[in-house]
Amino acid sequence: MATLAQQLVNGLVLGALIGLIALGYTMVYGIVQLINFAHGEVFMAGAFGAHFAYLRLLPAGTPWYLALPVMTGAAVAVSVAVAVAMERWAYRPLRGAHKLAPLITALGVSILLQEVVRVFYPGATAPLAFPRAFAGGSLTLGPVLVLWTGVLAVVVAPLLATGLHLYVERSRLGRAMRATAQDPDTARLMGIDPDRVVLATFVIGAVLAGAGAVLYGVHYTQIDTAIGFQNGIFAFTAAVLGGIGSIRGAMLGALCIGLVKSLAGQYAWGGAQYDYVWVFVLLILVLMFRPQGFLGRPEGVRA
Amino acid sequence: MTLTAQGVSMAFGGLLALDDVSLTVPERRVVGLIGPNGAGKTTLFNCLTGLYAPTSGLVLLNGRPLPPDPAEAARGGIARTFQNIRLFPELSALDNVLVGRHTRIRQGLLAALLRGPGFRRSEAEAVERARAELAFVGLDPAGRAPAGSLAYGDQRRLEIARALAGDPSVLMLDEPTAGMNATETAAVRELIAAIRERGIAVVVIEHDTKFIFSLCDHVHVLVRGRLLVDGPPEAVRADARVIEAYLGAA
Amino acid sequence: MTSTDTGSTTGVRGPVTRARRSARSVLSVRSVRRVPGAVLVLAGALSPWASVVLPGGAYPDLATLHLFDAPHLVTGFRLHLVLLGLAALLPRAARPAGAGVLIIAFVHTAFLAALGAVSFGGPVALAGGALLVWQGRREPAPRWPLPGRAVVWPALAAAFAGLLWLVSATLTAGGQSRATNPHGGAEFLAFLGFAVALLGILSAYGVLAWLSALAERHRTFSVAVLLGCAMLLPLTGAGTGYWMTVASTIGVYAATAIGLNIVVGLAGLLDLGYVAFLGIGAFTAANLAHTVPFPVAALAGAVAAGLLGVVVGAPTLRVRGDYLAIVTLAFGEIFFRAAQNDLGGLTGGANSIPGIPPITLFGQAFDRPVGALPAGFLYYALTVLMVAGAMAVLANLKHSRTGRAWLAISADEDVARAMGVHTGRAKILAFLVGATLAGLAGAVFAHKLGTVGYESFDFSESVTLLAAVILGGMGTVPGAVVGASLLFVLPEKLREFSDYRLMLFGLALILIMRLRPKGLVSS
Repeated sequence: MATLAQQLVNGLVLGALIGLIALGYTMVYGIVQLINFAHGEVFMAGAFGAHFAYLRLLPAGTPWYLALPVMTGAAVAVSVAVAVAMERWAYRPLRGAHKLAPLITALGVSILLQEVVRVFYPGATAPLAFPRAFAGGSLTLGPVLVLWTGVLAVVVAPLLATGLHLYVERSRLGRAMRATAQDPDTARLMGIDPDRVVLATFVIGAVLAGAGAVLYGVHYTQIDTAIGFQNGIFAFTAAVLGGIGSIRGAMLGALCIGLVKSLAGQYAWGGAQYDYVWVFVLLILVLMFRPQGFLGRPEGVRA
Repeated sequence: MTLTAQGVSMAFGGLLALDDVSLTVPERRVVGLIGPNGAGKTTLFNCLTGLYAPTSGLVLLNGRPLPPDPAEAARGGIARTFQNIRLFPELSALDNVLVGRHTRIRQGLLAALLRGPGFRRSEAEAVERARAELAFVGLDPAGRAPAGSLAYGDQRRLEIARALAGDPSVLMLDEPTAGMNATETAAVRELIAAIRERGIAVVVIEHDTKFIFSLCDHVHVLVRGRLLVDGPPEAVRADARVIEAYLGAA
Repeated sequence: MTSTDTGSTTGVRGPVTRARRSARSVLSVRSVRRVPGAVLVLAGALSPWASVVLPGGAYPDLATLHLFDAPHLVTGFRLHLVLLGLAALLPRAARPAGAGVLIIAFVHTAFLAALGAVSFGGPVALAGGALLVWQGRREPAPRWPLPGRAVVWPALAAAFAGLLWLVSATLTAGGQSRATNPHGGAEFLAFLGFAVALLGILSAYGVLAWLSALAERHRTFSVAVLLGCAMLLPLTGAGTGYWMTVASTIGVYAATAIGLNIVVGLAGLLDLGYVAFLGIGAFTAANLAHTVPFPVAALAGAVAAGLLGVVVGAPTLRVRGDYLAIVTLAFGEIFFRAAQNDLGGLTGGANSIPGIPPITLFGQAFDRPVGALPAGFLYYALTVLMVAGAMAVLANLKHSRTGRAWLAISADEDVARAMGVHTGRAKILAFLVGATLAGLAGAVFAHKLGTVGYESFDFSESVTLLAAVILGGMGTVPGAVVGASLLFVLPEKLREFSDYRLMLFGLALILIMRLRPKGLVSS
């Protein structure tokens, strides 16, 4: 029972973190129908940005309540810069190209970013220790141990998602996004500049990924260049599971993925060595049998 | 070979796009389908070509229900073109027509790998037939140019050649003269007449009522998902309800 | 290559008038403009390159020299520069020759700079190359009439012999390792520049188009001669055990890439976990290696991979486009994890499966030398046959009902259905055929290496195979072979850059999609 509760909590935290990445996938796919494979690397780059800020920009011994905002700022700045660069130079020139071109490009961007960080970031060829926040403090709820960083993630992620939801529903730019997602040509006729909308979408996704990267780092206290790819796949699965294009769906899907991974690692056949496998199995099943996800609509046949 | 629709209705969500439509496409006839925008013409087309399964009602080909699968419909002898030209733009014109011949070629994977005499003969026949269809619609029989590089009118004709290559008994043309000038339209009219001469029934959707009335043996008028009038062109043209529907829509 | 065009009537007249015009233009003002560039290239080639004697071995081709020490004895890249400088005097050759000069000079200048030596010849040759590219004209290549049979056979034989020389020279350029030649990387890259220039010049004069039209018309003869030439490779400078091993490794990946080309290039189904098929073929053969003869093990590997292909392909019945790519990625990852964790004791997990015996047929072990031929020749010959077979499969299917259906699905699935194509069946068939080829390659892979471990089948290998297909040109017959050769020779040659390998692949994917989405071969 205690183990189950502990795994549920672990899954919840992982789900919250993946959810922040999944929002980026779901927004970009909703607007340009591109699986931005490299979005996971935006997250990864953010984590390294935060790491850099902590090691190089902040004096040693900065208290966590000062360090955390600076690191978050650095992570977001790096993530946004990477996302804007990839949109501008990799994806935008491809609109209307061969239909496999965007996905292959996304793959190329993903590999390029991973390798650039691995080769050029000092020490990144091995996992790097990420600074701890709260000096390892934790909350004990009966038999369950929750790190404060986990609490932070579980509180912040839904807040950010809700904020995004309200922004998309209420703001001018949000309206332009929804219009572009529905019908880019009509949106253009209505005076909406699709390039700006797409860029804004990438930026918003990057902000969330950057914030998620800091939360991820302080919680798991270790980062490497593969975190983007792995968690990116999880986040994509979450986005599809929840219904791609849906903000609530992405969070819901991420929660499922987090729970499946941590419960499968504990209880499913094969144990922790196969927890990834179960997520992938779930991914395949979802794509095959409910590609519209929990909250999405089925895709009609073109004719 | 006759194609019939019996009481076909088609609903998308709450929207009833087709409401109890019945029609018959007799052999060797040109049947026209007209109606204002959004009348459900293309939806009916999609039901008749197996792309949609009607919500209720039956589509029968020679008295047997048409499977709700375009591939099976094509095998059954129903060929079509598309409102927005949908060729395989990077394939050559000849290869486009050869794809249209797909259902009539028997040589499978192993035959293709072994390239025996049977395969060669079948392939040569298919190529010959494809060239003949290209020539029939008035295109260069060599057909080397990529389909996407052809002029607009030629692309429309190539779509027809591709559809004809599968030996259809019913050819469905979705706005074959859209975007064409008077000369090109006249050429298409002649082409459709020649197709009928080959013993193929033709169903044509058009906005251009003059084109339909001068060409068709039988005309159906579809308004807001319902069949308003049908009959020979002279009768339909004179029908007050049709005039009203068109004037009302305009 | 795909065109069956065999020279039109205009081609008969064209070259004659064009030749007369270009004969005039040699004397025209325009031709004079090419002279400074060519002169600069020659001057650069004959100048000393390395300004200092380098530690760790003299710079190749006597380039560490005082001025004009041996201008009449140029070899290697300096000889190539001289040849290109002279070729640049021909009107159409200026651009490609200039491009080649730029590559050669840039590579050597950069390497020398990295070694701390200033190059004298380099900047001069660079300037000459740039001048040539700038002033050369870009004209459509002339078309030549196709000759009678008496000329065809010698022409094709000569062409393939030339190809054999080019392949052999490319393989051996720069030696086999850093230990024997510290400047091997530079020499290899520079040779690639020379090869590109040669092919460019031939292409500018329409020779390549003429040859490929000839080869298309005399297909059987061409295939026979090409195979014969491939079998002669061991008799050239590349005829050592080392190069035979490298070449056969390339062959294994080339055959796999051809399989992937069927799936991606013809049927348009992006597979991001394709290396799993190579893996299952290899593991199957490895497990059977001690109990059954190689042909049976290879067949079993192919069948196992084909079955897995059907399983991976099954979701195509319901999943389209980008989502399918993710499904294949998921399958690939599942395979990798299962192999890593030694699922069912079949993969050896972290220990790999060691001690796989070499293929033995008629008492001859494939890793031993045969007669005067180097060790590894038999594996080389086997992979050549395998690649030829895979190419035949691709070519035969491409021009058949099945292949046309694939191309149609790739272009517009809904329309393909409306044409009567059972798209689900066709797509699964594509996975079946592609995976079977990869499985067969995997069986050879296992025996050749003698050990198989899960780490050979990770995601980056799938990406490399995909990059090979895209680089070579999706759906083209020679594309996957060219792409695989490049992508697997380059890391072998440029070990000093091995850390950048994947980074460059990523960059290459982005650039190719942007600049040349149809790949290198299709030009």
